[in-house]
Amino acid sequence: MTTEPHSWPRYAKEITDPALVHEKPEALDDLRVLDASSGNFAALFASSILAEFGAEVIRREPPGGDVARLFSPQGVKHRGTGLAYLVEARNKRHITLNLEMPAGRELFARLARHADVVIESARPGQMDAWGIGYRQLSAANPRLIYLAFSTHGQFGPRATSPIPDYDITNQALSGTPYTTGEPAGEGTPESSVPTKQGNWIAWYIGGGWGAFAVMTAVIWRAASGQGQFIDCSPAEAEMRFTDYDVHWYHASQRIRERLGALNVSVFPYTLIKTKDSYSFIAGFSDINWAGLTNIIQRPDLKERFPTTKTRIGESKLLHRELEGWAATLTSQEILDRVQDYVANKRGPGTVASARLNRPSDTLAETHWWERGVFEKIEDPDYGELLLQAVI
Amino acid sequence: MSESYFDWTRKLFDRARIFDKPEALRGIRVLELTTLVLGPTTADFLGEFGAEVVKVELPPGGDTMRYVTPEATYWQNASLGFFPENHSKYHVGIDLHAPEGKELFKRLAAKSDVFVENFRAGTLDKWEIGYRQLREVSPRLIYVAASGFGQWGPFSQGRASYDAVAQTVSGMIGITGFPDRPPILCGIFVGDWFGGLMASTAALVALHYRNRTGEGQFIDLAQSEGLIRALDWTWVRHGLTGQDRGPAGNRDDAIVPADFLACRDGFVALAAGRDEEFHGLCAAMGNPVLARDPRFATLEARQLPVNAEALLALIRKWAAVQSRAELEGLGEKHGFACARVANAEDRYRDEHLRERGTVWQYDDPLYGPMVEQGPAPKLSATPGRMRWAGKPVGWHNEEVLTRLLGLSPTRIKQLEEKKVVGRWAERPGAKPPDEWLKAHAEQQR
Repeated sequence: MTTEPHSWPRYAKEITDPALVHEKPEALDDLRVLDASSGNFAALFASSILAEFGAEVIRREPPGGDVARLFSPQGVKHRGTGLAYLVEARNKRHITLNLEMPAGRELFARLARHADVVIESARPGQMDAWGIGYRQLSAANPRLIYLAFSTHGQFGPRATSPIPDYDITNQALSGTPYTTGEPAGEGTPESSVPTKQGNWIAWYIGGGWGAFAVMTAVIWRAASGQGQFIDCSPAEAEMRFTDYDVHWYHASQRIRERLGALNVSVFPYTLIKTKDSYSFIAGFSDINWAGLTNIIQRPDLKERFPTTKTRIGESKLLHRELEGWAATLTSQEILDRVQDYVANKRGPGTVASARLNRPSDTLAETHWWERGVFEKIEDPDYGELLLQAVI
Repeated sequence: MSESYFDWTRKLFDRARIFDKPEALRGIRVLELTTLVLGPTTADFLGEFGAEVVKVELPPGGDTMRYVTPEATYWQNASLGFFPENHSKYHVGIDLHAPEGKELFKRLAAKSDVFVENFRAGTLDKWEIGYRQLREVSPRLIYVAASGFGQWGPFSQGRASYDAVAQTVSGMIGITGFPDRPPILCGIFVGDWFGGLMASTAALVALHYRNRTGEGQFIDLAQSEGLIRALDWTWVRHGLTGQDRGPAGNRDDAIVPADFLACRDGFVALAAGRDEEFHGLCAAMGNPVLARDPRFATLEARQLPVNAEALLALIRKWAAVQSRAELEGLGEKHGFACARVANAEDRYRDEHLRERGTVWQYDDPLYGPMVEQGPAPKLSATPGRMRWAGKPVGWHNEEVLTRLLGLSPTRIKQLEEKKVVGRWAERPGAKPPDEWLKAHAEQQR
């Protein structure tokens, strides 16, 4: 990495240096958010994003605590709280109010009069039946922005569904797991199935879209003076990300199926077995494929498979060829060879590679620590916590 | 409230009224110089909620995503991969290697509120149209640099990245799938899409700040860092216990029961984390005694791995002889979560998703009937919308250069002759449908 005085990376670091964050103003310190969600990490991530950029977030739980505090791997607790909650409780102030009691609802309504944003994840219609839904709260506070999370949404034929909102069901409905995993018959009976992401990806995407929608509503409110109701389904949030699945069905009645480490549109964009682990490798446009065949010293493959169409058609064969080359190299050696070619412009094309990381491998890389992606904080109640920081 | 809740929401969010309602970001102009998915989605999401998006591409080939289409098969000469992140944009072809092209581009930037790019770090700085140059042109500009590893730091220089690089380096692939099996890719370009969502959210945060202060700013968004943020309890557990997270198959380690289940006609996902939901599931299984079994009675008991496995074995056996619809119906009746593992056809034909505009059908003037994934969050006052489909390279050259920069038709023609301004290559992915080309040729004659 170059570090001469006027180099781009040096300048970019100067203007985004994580060490200087606390000396700078916060974009959202004029907003107050009331997060009344229950057992829902889409809602918790949405309020985390707003809190990270400066909003005052008041987190309402029932007396005894939200069930979200119990959603923890193998039930592990740290000082009485589940691990996932420790991540998304960041920057929030915590209060308890029992919304099942009229007095609790009355206090909640009073708080909502002084809030810019209310977030909830109750069964659709529940808050309204309690007299603290958008209809009632907006009558007292027309500037209120009200964000409700649910799997099937607040309107439409399935809106009356009482099912609780979970990441796994949201992932399933989104369409992503159907296209993820080992093809039928290629792995073990247990593993050759539609496969979900290991993390709560639908909840995180749902929360991201919720925060995005709140910000558009905040911007519109500045011009109009009006708040509004935002209906956010984490299932639909992830659905928006499912590439061209619906387009392909519309164009040719084709259903995208799962392909393991391969992709139906490009090759190579794949994971290959190496001497010590696995690596991702990509060089799928014609010029980048030329670059990759240079790196692996197989110009014959470029001649035989010159176009995307020919490469996709033979992607299993080509995958074996790449694994044959990788069998004698470690994942690090592969990355070094790729970087040598790309950084020193030893030929045409740009190739990308990465060693398959377990989380411990990611934590061992200084890049993320330098950039402030991970942070060890000293919390007065929970002691030292390793957290992923603001994006 | 006399009107029932669902009658009220049906009217409040009525899809037929969307185009009668205002747009939250109307008046915001977004300029993009992006390829593939990460950069284009960042601008697209802002466009869905009313921003005017001007997409500059290098003619004649344009965005690489124009050539990423399933089985390398084009539809009406367009890439299906290009549509989902390029809606309602104005397409302009400018050669940014030419000095006059840079000048035109800077004039467009001066008229824009947000600029999005996803080149490798420092590329546009080298071309002298990066943040340092554009902020001179417009100090109010919000500059979003989306990349694989960020603009600085050991991995940032000269290393190419894609969605799957982010999936790999973040640790996401390492915690997905089944133990002792080869790693798998997420079926969608999730690192790009999620990065685009975080980048566009950051742009909105910066717009709000600019409304308050008048100041623009620079946003450094790394897609790998987006996925790291989304890995829930992975990092905090590592910090407290030193445990390295691995793949755990389809069951949720933190919520029990939660798993994918093979049933008679496909797969469903099922979850019943809260104790009352679990009791409902036991009733649905015709086995209410399970709810009182000390191994399963509370979430904390069910979370113990040995109990979780024993319970999931019982549930899998029960589910295997049911249909997807039966299981979904039991979830509705007994209050636990159950939903099918949906494929493209399931979603395409789903009346619920159609009524919500999540599956969005419209007529495009060039491509005819389109069916796409519609806006995700539904806003009552300023709903998102899809206006038209992605267009060939340089489709809106005259309109944009005339309307925004006041260039005369003669001047545009000169710039075209000098190849500073350009349009589509004669190849599928870049060019219009054959029918249009044929009709256009006849018109010219």
